[in-house]
Amino acid sequence: MPDMVTLTIDGQTVSVPKGTLVVEAARQVENLIPVFCYHPKMAPVGMCRMCVVKVGTPKMDPATRQPVVDADGKSVIAMMPRLQTACTTPVSEGMVVVTQDSEVEHAQRGVLEALLTSHPLDCPVCDKGGECPLQNLTMGWGPGKTRFDYNDKVHFEKPVPLGDLIYLDRERCILCARCVRFQDEIAGDPVLGFYNRGRAWHIISQSDPEFDSKFSGNTTDICPVGALTSADFRFKARVWELQPIPTVCNHCSVGCNMTFDTRSNDIKRVMPRENDAVNEIWLCDRGRFGHHFNTSKQRLTTPLVRKAGKLQEATWEEALSIVAQQLDGIRSTTGGKAIGGLAGTSLANEDLYAFQRFFRETLGSANIDHRSGSALDLPLDDAGAQYGIRSGTDLSTLGKGTVVLVFGADPEEEAPVHLLRIRGINTRGGSVITLNGRPTKLDSIAKHALRYKYGSESAILAALLKPLLDSTPADGKRATLRGFNDLVAALKGFNLDEQASGISADKLNTVAELINSAENLVIFYGRDALTAGASVPAGLANLLVMTRKAGATNSGLISLLKGANARGALDLGVRPDRGPNYAALSNAGLDAKQMLSAAREGKLKALYVAGVDPVGDNPAAAESLKKLGLLVVQELFLTETAKLADVVLPVLSVAEREGTYTNAERRVQRFRQAIRPTINARPDWQILQALANQLVSEAVLSAAGGDKSRKQTRREEDKARVRSEWTYASPAEILMDIQANVAGYKGVSYASLQGPTGQWGRQANENYYFDGTSYQNTGGLGVQLPAAVETSSIQTLQPFSVSTPASVADRPWTLVGATFLYDDGALLTDTDLLNNRKAKAVVALNPVDADKLGVKNGERVTVSSGRGSLSLPVHRTKLAPEGVVVVPVGVNNVGLVSVVEGGATPVAIRREA
Amino acid sequence: MLKGTMAYFKGLKTTAKYLFKKPVTVEYPEVKRPVRERFRGRHELKRFANGLERCIGCSLCAAACPADAIYVVPGQNDPAKPRSAGERHAAVYEINMLRCIFCGYCEDACPTNAIVLEHQYELAFYDRRASIYTQDMLLVPVDKGHGEVPPVLQQTGKQLNPPAQIDL
Ligand code: SF4
Ligand code: SF4
Ligand code: SF4
Ligand code: SF4
Ligand code: FES
Repeated sequence: MPDMVTLTIDGQTVSVPKGTLVVEAARQVENLIPVFCYHPKMAPVGMCRMCVVKVGTPKMDPATRQPVVDADGKSVIAMMPRLQTACTTPVSEGMVVVTQDSEVEHAQRGVLEALLTSHPLDCPVCDKGGECPLQNLTMGWGPGKTRFDYNDKVHFEKPVPLGDLIYLDRERCILCARCVRFQDEIAGDPVLGFYNRGRAWHIISQSDPEFDSKFSGNTTDICPVGALTSADFRFKARVWELQPIPTVCNHCSVGCNMTFDTRSNDIKRVMPRENDAVNEIWLCDRGRFGHHFNTSKQRLTTPLVRKAGKLQEATWEEALSIVAQQLDGIRSTTGGKAIGGLAGTSLANEDLYAFQRFFRETLGSANIDHRSGSALDLPLDDAGAQYGIRSGTDLSTLGKGTVVLVFGADPEEEAPVHLLRIRGINTRGGSVITLNGRPTKLDSIAKHALRYKYGSESAILAALLKPLLDSTPADGKRATLRGFNDLVAALKGFNLDEQASGISADKLNTVAELINSAENLVIFYGRDALTAGASVPAGLANLLVMTRKAGATNSGLISLLKGANARGALDLGVRPDRGPNYAALSNAGLDAKQMLSAAREGKLKALYVAGVDPVGDNPAAAESLKKLGLLVVQELFLTETAKLADVVLPVLSVAEREGTYTNAERRVQRFRQAIRPTINARPDWQILQALANQLVSEAVLSAAGGDKSRKQTRREEDKARVRSEWTYASPAEILMDIQANVAGYKGVSYASLQGPTGQWGRQANENYYFDGTSYQNTGGLGVQLPAAVETSSIQTLQPFSVSTPASVADRPWTLVGATFLYDDGALLTDTDLLNNRKAKAVVALNPVDADKLGVKNGERVTVSSGRGSLSLPVHRTKLAPEGVVVVPVGVNNVGLVSVVEGGATPVAIRREA
Repeated sequence: MLKGTMAYFKGLKTTAKYLFKKPVTVEYPEVKRPVRERFRGRHELKRFANGLERCIGCSLCAAACPADAIYVVPGQNDPAKPRSAGERHAAVYEINMLRCIFCGYCEDACPTNAIVLEHQYELAFYDRRASIYTQDMLLVPVDKGHGEVPPVLQQTGKQLNPPAQIDL
């Protein structure tokens, strides 16, 4: 328990931890001190003087150093001669604070009157109107009249764009520096600054391109006036007309809580919903502005069926019965093994569970996967669930004593809001270690920012594990670690090749020590780590075990998988090798890659694809898909795969239906229906249910071909396999089924997801502090699932081995595919605002290397591996280390997929004439 | 008996008296009685003399309306061809005359005096859809505008801030 300090605020006694600011102490007794510049997430600056209060401290006798006591035995209070700003004054023992008296009121009125002299008072056209702290505080504390002449106001040209996304209205700005401080302190992109002086003082962007930050939208939320407005919401509606519907972002694995603010069945804006355990009160710009796909005109609006070689509109009955009959035909002639299914990572848990049930039970097929079968697929990651961060961990509370290891990941691009949270841990006194193959933004705050050479990942981990292994006493401790001797054997005789790995052994020893002495250890790993071989996630898990942090409070792995619900897909068994809850299967099915090759060989007759685009990810897959007897695509858009389909079934988007997602920290969170669908589409689970029921119905069974006895046996087989007819009335019922059948999801229901709501000791007038109408989380905080290791008494070390990449003489360069936040994915359809920020189809090359090759910016090079080659223009940048070329993943016309071999790939580069 | 006859003539006398007085009834609809100055009838959306719409699409009228009769969708002005003074205008403006109770709160709420309840009271429709009066129907013709854009709104010379201190 930290030292407590007791003070009196307007006669109320309150005890708060030492170091608390007066303004925060007052909030605890629901005493509202008005503020403009102060924000609880940022360091105070005392710029606006709105929070002035009278402060007194007990008078001390200089001789005895004891408080002076009056006749009644009370200590004499010496009031400070001037008013103090409550947002910068820390509390002290015996302090007396007066927040309401004529002197304070006079000062507050004066501050507001002065602010309004240079304010345009154009609330009726201001997007902040209705949720504006300046409006609110003027109503509560301001003068009724002004003594200034209206015509003396300063005027600036109305809004100037600060980049593509944000508009600045300099007349409205009250110069509180919240936006500047957010960018400096929280986002770590110091791109805003003040310019000029006096009445011409204003905010400018200092970066090129302007306001170059992935978090710029947050400044519009925390700006206490309408000076910063988003280009997306500009003049879309008045805020009081909006209906905020709780939802969860489906753009990445962070799973930020947010609301779709709707009006007239249209999404007008996206606002963060406060959830300290996930996104605090922030969103990245992709989540905030990338909602347009929901209402895109390019959406599929009705089922399509291929007739006479062309996809033509059809009714649901027609489309579903075609699919059911054809699937049944294949099932009865060749059995389920000739049918494959792909269900993507943006599907809800309910859809994914229904999907695997449909395949395993109804069709009797084990061929399911959530990937697309391209060379860029990530391997199946189990470590993130087995050794996942302990349930109940709240990253926003971690600080001193916490070590964050970021291994082979770029959180800024892969899971942006995690970057803010890692920065927060650093600000609160934790240490960050980055171990990456290339520079990332986190390096700047990292205590140790180490750069390994691609291919040496497992050697680096071995070097970290070795000292931990050596220092583990030979006594009983070892016996509690299953696999200890195997690990010892694997590391026997290991010596770090400093030349090949790029990091000195000493450095790694220091890091190992730091990790070992940490109170909490949080490990993030991303695409680079996941593609570097199975030993990398295993090695990271072993680090946790060896430091006794596996399953420990506030410790564990966070795996930055691609897609909002990749963890859900893995948990619920949308994979060929394991069933729901990672249950081992006796017969593994085909994975996505094997399905495509089986299709090419004619062994796979039907493929059912939901929310995956194999052809879009890898154009070569079209060849395989054309050989299929039946291709069914269940999608939002007419993707490249859908164009080849026999039947296309349109689905509802995240805004038009209900469901749940499981995020990277394994928190299950619920999203609601925000708008009424205006198209003839259905939610994924409903389509699967309709098909499942048709496939077990007599009509379909009797229409199937084959002789009578065969039909009879089949019907019996089906009966045995199929539990019963599906009768889900809503996704809530599927979740009930999940919680009954999937051990890890025990206790997860729509009721428990609704969870506790308010945080931060909410009070009715909170938005005086935090602005925005939608922060309050009324939609529930979700439920974090326990990691497998939390519940087991014996700790298991994962099989680990050190691999050394064979160097290829004629291919001296390393090609790395990198994830970028703004890619060409379907979820950014119609979000034109972000187009300029999308990753370009270029090869990033270090200037030193570029000089070696003699290429200038924009000149083309050919990059070739053992599999194929690509040709792209060069972008010279230090973001690619020497010897490494970086090419974006998920960007059109890159051709990366035909070149990479798993992860980092040895390539040759040739300058094109 | 005589008393009864007398009463008969007494009544006729009143009739005879009014026979030669000017009648108070008017031949509506041929003749329409003027309404009072402050009568609250069908709304009009006013303009400035230069033809710009006064309405800035702020939705304050809709917020004030107790009958929820007004629907406003705002839009952004094209600086080259502005529809109203300032950055914002009403892209859609509709009043449902069946819902309206002619209280005039919208008029009170309007910061630019754009919406005014005028003297037209003949509001009948054959179907309910027709009761929704659109912006085209409510806006007065360009030459009917009155009032200059106040100097305070013109002084920046660029994009104007309409609402504050607008004249009448
Ligand atoms: S733009 Fe907003 S947040 Fe930034 S200084 Fe001005 S008022 Fe403060
Ligand atoms: S960080 Fe991820 S989940 Fe959060 S808003 Fe951005 S894209 Fe969405
Ligand atoms: S007169 Fe009253 S009821 Fe009618 S539109 Fe105006 S505010 Fe609404
Ligand atoms: S209050 Fe006036 S300016 Fe605002 S929308 Fe209504 S009519 Fe237009
Ligand atoms: S000076 Fe304290 S809130 Fe601005």
